[in-house]
Amino acid sequence: MISLLTVPFLRNIMIAGGLVAVGLSPWSVYVVLRRIVFSGAAVAEVASAAVALAVLFQLAPFPIALLLTVASFLALSRLADSPVLPPETMVGMLYAGGAAASVLLIAKAPRGEADILNILFGNILTVPSSLLWTMGAVFGVLSLLQYLASKEFLISAYDPDMGRTLGVRVELWNMIFYGALGVAVAVAIRTVGALLTFTMLVAPGAAALCLTGRLSRAFKVALAFGVLAAIAGVVVSYQYDLPTGPTIVAILVGIFVVSFGFGRAARAG
Amino acid sequence: MPAELLKAEKLSVGYGRHAVLHGIDLTIARGDFLGVMGPNGAGKTTMLKTFLGLLKPLSGRITAAPSSPGGRVLFGYVPQRESLDLHYPLTSLEVALMGRYGRLGPFRRPGPEDERIARAALRQTRMDALAERPYRKLSGGQKQRVLIARALASEPEILLLDEPTNGMDVNSERAIMELLTELQAEKKTTVVFVTHLLSTIETYARRVALITFDGKLLVGEKAEMLAPEVLAGAYKKNNKNL
Repeated sequence: MISLLTVPFLRNIMIAGGLVAVGLSPWSVYVVLRRIVFSGAAVAEVASAAVALAVLFQLAPFPIALLLTVASFLALSRLADSPVLPPETMVGMLYAGGAAASVLLIAKAPRGEADILNILFGNILTVPSSLLWTMGAVFGVLSLLQYLASKEFLISAYDPDMGRTLGVRVELWNMIFYGALGVAVAVAIRTVGALLTFTMLVAPGAAALCLTGRLSRAFKVALAFGVLAAIAGVVVSYQYDLPTGPTIVAILVGIFVVSFGFGRAARAG
Repeated sequence: MPAELLKAEKLSVGYGRHAVLHGIDLTIARGDFLGVMGPNGAGKTTMLKTFLGLLKPLSGRITAAPSSPGGRVLFGYVPQRESLDLHYPLTSLEVALMGRYGRLGPFRRPGPEDERIARAALRQTRMDALAERPYRKLSGGQKQRVLIARALASEPEILLLDEPTNGMDVNSERAIMELLTELQAEKKTTVVFVTHLLSTIETYARRVALITFDGKLLVGEKAEMLAPEVLAGAYKKNNKNL
């Protein structure tokens, strides 16, 4: 594996995968516990539509995607309290709307379809070094935020009424949580695409929660699973000439299946 | 005469524009042990949440006399334990530690002193031996003790409990209510609990607030409020339905 790191483009792929894992996998614990798994998928579609929109009007894709991703997460967090409809309805509509808008906007875009699909869905094989620095900075700040605001994020999700009576500004912290998640998703989609972003936002946390009965440990286990899957995915895809993103996704799903089985066996025994 | 802690005047509570209870006049004194009784859906929790500041009064006002001038009354809220998500892998100690969050500023994590206070609160509720046990694996009565410990860890001026013995067997119910009675007697903690169980009110409350069939609140000493003619008047509509 050390020899793989001497190949510049492989080194970049491995660093990109590792950064996405560090940036997203600890959030996946909250995504699972807050029951917002499909929000990630829906927001990923909105990010894709935003990129297509930017291409159509020849604007910079990343700022538009970032803006709409953060706005979508914030809107979902506010609309989840609707007295009329269950929260997943809004998620479903956002998913359908984002997907349809992507296809319609691509159909009218002036650039080649392959070129646009690359921008839309990201390609871990073509991550430039400059983007790695951006990812490192953004994910570093978000990880620090998650560590420092862990008690605010926890009480706002677990028992918001208790939080309010203690003087915690639950609405503000929920906005910060969803805003930060939106930024993380926008940066990750730009790099590795919607499928890997979505899986990295669910599988590591779900696997960790199967194996540990301590929340603090779940974040560490999720991080370890995310990084392991990213590195193993790059190595396996290189060795067996497979597409890298789907290989990482398959490994993450495999880790979840094994963890789920172990968890069940441990509880039964 | 004990000092006033909270006072509601001509208070109406409810959701949206719909008032569930109206014209509430209620004074809670320091050291009070008040049981609020009413049938399911009568507005007990709505009233409790309004006192806690979680819901805005539809009309009327609540005045508070916190112990520190210019501060706010420190509430120890014990929600219905069924409202908490058991998917969260938290130990009893981690749940009790949440009571310290209000005492810490933003971005500050609980330290050794907070853990010491949370463990002391667990000891008070006789849950210290199960501090490292996952909360979700506790019995109903044990969960309730942890939630009371969490409220105590916040070092509150008043404990507000929402249906603290709901769904418990007789022994667990007695243990929880005796714990509250002890806390009130030893620490002079102000305790307000809501319940739909007449037997709980009858055995443990000192003062009683009775929600009537037409959305009013009658408040008085226990003997006075549980007199048959007062109960019959309060639940007139229900009795007719029987």
